[in-house]
Amino acid sequence: MNLGTLSRRTGTLALTIGLITTAAACGSGSSGPAASSSPKSITVAVAYPSPPKALLAQFTKQTGITVNWVNIGWDDLQTKIAAAMSANTYFADAADVDWSKVGEYEKTGWFLPLNKYFSPSGLSTDMPQIDTFVVDNKLIGMPFDSSFLVTTVNTKDFQKAGIGSVPTTLSGFSAALKKVGTANGMANPLNIQFATAEGLSTCWYQMTAAFGGSVLSAQDNPAFTSPGSPGYQAMNWMVNAYKTGLVPKANINTTDYDGFTTEMAKNRVAATMCDYSGSLASIYNVPSSSSVVSQTAYEPTPGSTSAGMNVANPDGIGIPRNAKNVAGAVKFIKWFTSTQNQAIWAGLNGTKDVVSTFPLPDRLSSFALLGKAGDIGQASQLAAILKAHARAPFPNGAPPWYAQFSNAVQTNIHEAAAGEETVQQAVNAIASEVQQLKSSG
Amino acid sequence: MSATFRRRILPYVLVSPLVVFIGALSFVPTADTAVEAFFRVMPLDPPTRFTGLGNFRALFSNPVIRTSWINTAVYVAVGVVLSVVLGVAIAVALRRRFRFRGVVLALVVLPWALPAVVEAVIWSWIYNPTFGVLNSALHSVHVIGGYHLWLGLDRWLTILLIEIVQVWQITPLSVLIILAALQSVPQDLYEAARVDGAGAVSSFRRITLPLIRPAVAVAAVEALVLSLNIFDQVYILNGIAPLGSSIMLQTYVTTFQNLNFGGGYALSLLVTVATALLSMAALALLYRRAEAT
Repeated sequence: MNLGTLSRRTGTLALTIGLITTAAACGSGSSGPAASSSPKSITVAVAYPSPPKALLAQFTKQTGITVNWVNIGWDDLQTKIAAAMSANTYFADAADVDWSKVGEYEKTGWFLPLNKYFSPSGLSTDMPQIDTFVVDNKLIGMPFDSSFLVTTVNTKDFQKAGIGSVPTTLSGFSAALKKVGTANGMANPLNIQFATAEGLSTCWYQMTAAFGGSVLSAQDNPAFTSPGSPGYQAMNWMVNAYKTGLVPKANINTTDYDGFTTEMAKNRVAATMCDYSGSLASIYNVPSSSSVVSQTAYEPTPGSTSAGMNVANPDGIGIPRNAKNVAGAVKFIKWFTSTQNQAIWAGLNGTKDVVSTFPLPDRLSSFALLGKAGDIGQASQLAAILKAHARAPFPNGAPPWYAQFSNAVQTNIHEAAAGEETVQQAVNAIASEVQQLKSSG
Repeated sequence: MSATFRRRILPYVLVSPLVVFIGALSFVPTADTAVEAFFRVMPLDPPTRFTGLGNFRALFSNPVIRTSWINTAVYVAVGVVLSVVLGVAIAVALRRRFRFRGVVLALVVLPWALPAVVEAVIWSWIYNPTFGVLNSALHSVHVIGGYHLWLGLDRWLTILLIEIVQVWQITPLSVLIILAALQSVPQDLYEAARVDGAGAVSSFRRITLPLIRPAVAVAAVEALVLSLNIFDQVYILNGIAPLGSSIMLQTYVTTFQNLNFGGGYALSLLVTVATALLSMAALALLYRRAEAT
């Protein structure tokens, strides 16, 4: 056997192994068939952990419908919805309808209007944020919380630094945090998300509101390009907070919300900005996952001259147009958003029945139940912030090109924080994207 | 069954299921992608319309996409070099018979058997700035003074650390390919070389390397294709941040986050063409007929 023949044989063998292994590797990465629902079951896909099994079992007992609960991270869930609906493929009977997606879903028809099953006008007194989910008189989703962004502080850490009341201005808040950090041995006492995820975009809207403005005008034009504008100042403040070490460096790529809140729950930071209303009851006051039980409190977000506004970002649940069990999904949505259950998810029955990370109930009647039961989760404080300070992030509602806009926002603020570009460059890039989106839309 | 049928028709009948399978799952989508790349396809802004080179122009004018191409080139360079060099070294070491060789071989193959997402999650713990093993190990031997944030701040360090995760996963494949080739090299050649006074290094250079060269070429092309398509590791370890972003990640962002399907098709087409051209170039360069000297 000569070397040329040998070489060909070894080459052929190697090529064969390579092809086989590549095929195997490709196969291992493929996903299985989509979960299906029989008439006696429904699949619910939302960015929340499941309610306790015992309560889901009660629903099954009442209706005969088994719930297959799929909890996917918010960003990944939006991708799943877009991919499944674009391909006209079934993926769930009930799914997340975020406030920012309502315009898109109405335009694409990806979700069934729910007016046949729920009356927005009849419910609006008890559910103040239901209007957020109505476009052209179509109810695209039913709100299942009245989430809005808040500032959460560890009062014990602040007291240890000799700070009795949390400053209401951002300059005062920054100075106080430095003292708190020193007094408690925290190198980076402030939690703000900086990973390229929706949480970073939302936080910029929140901080812009704290500076007294909105990022887009009523005509959806950029309102953040001037250095004196609230949007510009907000981004500058956020990036400075990161660069000067007020915020942990690791936040630049902590994409997972649970990981983000763990910093507060484990007392590695003393305050969280752009936190979610409800974190006290569902995370920080839950002994199994927190070492700061009864130490944290909600505060109005500090602003440029006084307490700023808080951005409302309620979550909704709707029925995809290719759901297999629409009747079952309707029954589930009614059950999931009922007065009693909304209060239970927020802690009415104690921590055992809490839905982890669940913010506030959307029903005022649920608030009343929490108030009567002993002001659970600082319900009265949250209700006060909700009434006095909460408002929608965009004056004209979320634009239909929100996805691209948010992507540009999170990408560029992240880049500015990482030192890859300046705040001015980030602002210019986002403004340029808005103009492009408006002209192409 | 007639002899004519067996000789002329049967081969086509037998191969037809595979042709249909590959055609339906590979060629049709590829052709569809190639066509749709020239259309503006945006579900949020219908209707779909012909846009010529519009999608490609938009992609090349996007600084994040341009950065991602450069990043991907670095992923490929690091991935191919490291996985092939390590693959040859490990394969040579495993060629010799020793106790527990089978166990060692199984352990070496393990990273390749795990899903990329699982590996990326494992490595995210290793790189974790607060409780990661990397910080702990380096700190304990006084290489670093304090805990570091490894990913997300420095572009090249981020790319290198992410690519190390992929190299960890794809190197076993190179090992298997090269080990198979090594085991086909007859011992007689080494014995003859030894009689002629050749040392270990000389035997490796003049016998082993020429004979396993085609296998190295295949391993290099495999590494090239996998590195060019790197996604899971980047997404898990660094999110969609442009710093460290790969071109496949941008394909995902363009298609499923921005819902710009036309742009996604165009980017997919470019990646396909780049993969094909680079693979052919690598094979032409490396897969030469061996000539032992």
